[in-house]
Amino acid sequence: MAAENLAYALAQVLHNFGAVVVVGGAAFALWAPASPSGSGKQLAQLVGLGWAVQIASGAGFGAISYYYYGRFPEIHGVAVAALAIKVACAIAGLALALLLQWRVEGWPEARRRHSWCALAVLGATALSAAAFLRWFS
Amino acid sequence: MLQVLITSLALAAAPAAEGHVRIMAPADGARIERQKPTALVYEVNPGARGEHVHVYVDGKEVGILRQLKGRYTLKPLSPGQRTVCVKVVNRAHVPIGVEQCIKVTVE
Repeated sequence: MAAENLAYALAQVLHNFGAVVVVGGAAFALWAPASPSGSGKQLAQLVGLGWAVQIASGAGFGAISYYYYGRFPEIHGVAVAALAIKVACAIAGLALALLLQWRVEGWPEARRRHSWCALAVLGATALSAAAFLRWFS
Repeated sequence: MLQVLITSLALAAAPAAEGHVRIMAPADGARIERQKPTALVYEVNPGARGEHVHVYVDGKEVGILRQLKGRYTLKPLSPGQRTVCVKVVNRAHVPIGVEQCIKVTVE
């Protein structure tokens, strides 16, 4: 019982910090004063890491459930739609963050800004979907 | 005397740890009318691992119960034999094995 709760709690810790990074990182890129260090490549790496953590910890919830009960969480309706949105946002967010990290130095300012806007929207959408996943299942 | 007390405490604690589900209505094997909503009356002890309750009809989740005792209205069921289950799930929405299922015939 304690080990099971600990496993779920650790997955939740990673998931929470991943959420902070994907939303906070994108918001920082958009609204913080321009950094003298340049393009935002390191921030893109951090946000990409945040999305990877989100995917891994999200899968971790399912893995922990399967380990302890031999089955995955049972959700339906709105919760399934919310989970699908979260997964889509995570895949798109990770892909865009990786692209930004590799190509950012050659991109014009407007394209960088649009990319960070898209990452912020993906993060906010995933966080909003998480609330529906929590309370509609 | 001490042994009796310890045994009593252990017996009292065991069901709370494991939990239980009781479906008071409809009764197992009941015949219910089609096109009429059915009141599911239940009582749940989620045990140490449980957090809330899911309701299923023929294996499909149809509702979420956050109260441990009460009444839930099932939408009209299609004719035939139907299996209604109430299952305790944990915070991750995984059934923990504490459940009760009944069969009803919709006519």
